[in-house]
Amino acid sequence: MRLGTARRAVRLAPVPAAALLAAAAVAALLMDHVLPLAVLTAVLLLLCLQAQARLRPYLYGTGTAAIGVFLVWPFLQSTGIDVIWEGPIVPVLGQLDVTWEEIGLAAVSALRLAAVGFAFSAYALLLDHDRLVASASFARRSALAVALATRLVPTLERDAAGLAEAVRGRGVEVTGVRGHARLLSPLVAGSLERAANLAEAMEARGFGSGAPSRAPSPDWTWADYAALAAGAALVAAAVLWL
Amino acid sequence: MALVDVTKLEFSYPGADRPALEDISIRLEPGQVVALLGPSGSGKSTLLRALSGLVPHFHGGRFAGTVLVAGVDTRRSRPAVLAGTTAAVFQDPEDQVVMALVRNEVAFGLENLGVPSAEIWPRTDEALEAVGALHLAERRTSEVSGGELQRVCLASALALRPRLLLLDEPTSQLDPEAAERFLALVGESGATTVLSEQRTGRALALADRVLFMEGGQILADVGRDDGLAWLAEHRARYLPPHGESVGGAAAGETVCRLDGIRFAYRSGVDVLGGASLEIRRGEVVALEGPNGSGKTTLAKVAAGLLEPDAGTVWRDGRAGYLSQDPGRYLVRDRVLDEVALGVAGDQQRALAALERVGLAWAADRHPRDLSSGERERLGLAAVAVAEPDLLVLDEPTRGIDPDRKAEIAAWLDEYAAAGRGVLVATHDRTFPVDRRVSLQREALLAA
Repeated sequence: MRLGTARRAVRLAPVPAAALLAAAAVAALLMDHVLPLAVLTAVLLLLCLQAQARLRPYLYGTGTAAIGVFLVWPFLQSTGIDVIWEGPIVPVLGQLDVTWEEIGLAAVSALRLAAVGFAFSAYALLLDHDRLVASASFARRSALAVALATRLVPTLERDAAGLAEAVRGRGVEVTGVRGHARLLSPLVAGSLERAANLAEAMEARGFGSGAPSRAPSPDWTWADYAALAAGAALVAAAVLWL
Repeated sequence: MALVDVTKLEFSYPGADRPALEDISIRLEPGQVVALLGPSGSGKSTLLRALSGLVPHFHGGRFAGTVLVAGVDTRRSRPAVLAGTTAAVFQDPEDQVVMALVRNEVAFGLENLGVPSAEIWPRTDEALEAVGALHLAERRTSEVSGGELQRVCLASALALRPRLLLLDEPTSQLDPEAAERFLALVGESGATTVLSEQRTGRALALADRVLFMEGGQILADVGRDDGLAWLAEHRARYLPPHGESVGGAAAGETVCRLDGIRFAYRSGVDVLGGASLEIRRGEVVALEGPNGSGKTTLAKVAAGLLEPDAGTVWRDGRAGYLSQDPGRYLVRDRVLDEVALGVAGDQQRALAALERVGLAWAADRHPRDLSSGERERLGLAAVAVAEPDLLVLDEPTRGIDPDRKAEIAAWLDEYAAAGRGVLVATHDRTFPVDRRVSLQREALLAA
């Protein structure tokens, strides 16, 4: 993962990069103030922009969820005295009024969600997962399974698009939840076929043949240690002050 | 001493009613390059898997006879133990990729074999450079093209410095120039190589020995020159064709016209930079071009599956589109329903379409129970059943044997002769068509 501008970028090793992102997510969950949360969210979003077009589905998912939380949250709370809008009384939910305090709480919740979403997006899009799992000196097989599972998402996305396109190519439009749900079964069947082929290829490439070696990773630089320290400092600041 | 010694090998897959391999006996000497030819389903892939130990260890089934590779009995040793001595590149590179980054993917096999750490990156980079893919080293495997991924898979195999290289349709996604370069690298590797290829010209040019299989048996095992003579006498369609095949049927009215088409995917890079194309009723048009030139994109624009960023698309009537590898994209649980999907469930029309591609017998079977070749024919029936005015096919001859290729060509001729247009995006310059159009980067040049 790279930090900094295009001209002056610092490349982080996968482990400190993952630690820093995890710290950012934890700090976001601990923070209670809008401004530092907004800054953290903006920084994570800027980081994610390195992924360019690949960011779109993550941006869409995170953005939609955060905006949804921001819009719904005030109606699920009954807090504060500075009323902005007074609505009707609805069974179960009670009075649908909106206060400034509720808006503030909604913003905090939405920003927390967005920050965690962007931290995950950066993890999914920018990290070298292969080397991250290789850093796990124990449970190599489990670590590889995690790496393969991470890769499953874009593969499924591509296969789903291929299935929908194949059906459209026959002049049949895939519309609605029901239309897309019908593609689920062939998608799973295709994934199982892929999994069997992959297992065969791994066997042919010596997976599990004996004691494996590991390609050397570059030594950690000052930036890697700084990232670890920054992650710890971020969590500490969130606990103590933010 | 022979590197490979196969004696009276017989093998049947679990539940199969007939053997996939029958009475196979061959010896391969170090450094030999063998062209393994034969129709789809003849047992070529199974033989390659037997040489790598995947048959019987991975697939199960009934196995008789012996296969010795570098003195190791494959029945007694797991394929993972043979890895390094053997290396394989299979047909579909997407199904072989384990790691997220190209460089890590090539290093994966070396790590598995316990190659000393200090040697892994140099050997990785050397192999990537050898296949002309060093510039891809930091790219994600999910983002490189099929052709590039095929080169990465070859690099992964070459990095192991195997004594026996097993290649199953390794150039199926490469354009002719890239395929030439790919096979030249194979020739330079010095490894004993068994190369299964349906585009036989290049395989025969590289090989010093020819094996021809049919029905699980070896019909011919001869040197290259004798192999050419044998093919000429017994299986002439497998001989390299002389030049391109262009028919020139009388074309009728325009069925589709594309003018100044520009298109960019989400990455923002232009795939098409002003392409124009016209297809007329009654003709089969081949759309050619190197990997990455935008053939598939233009084909999808023609079929109405993609909206261009600029330019005009005019089409008279409906279009149907058959994607690459259609056997992967089957969506129903019954063959008849798969075809009927395109005609609102009309089972009579679906059955007639199945009959035209010779699959009526399989109407009640599950599509995924069919062989790969049968699935491709099913895909063709599923698109053609609605009789679209414009039929667009993307690489329909990929991995198809010469006999089936001739059948598809005849079928498309007949389809076009009924007053419809056919556009075939293909790398295959031997596929008989009425007109060829070459798509270069950012331009379209009518041949």
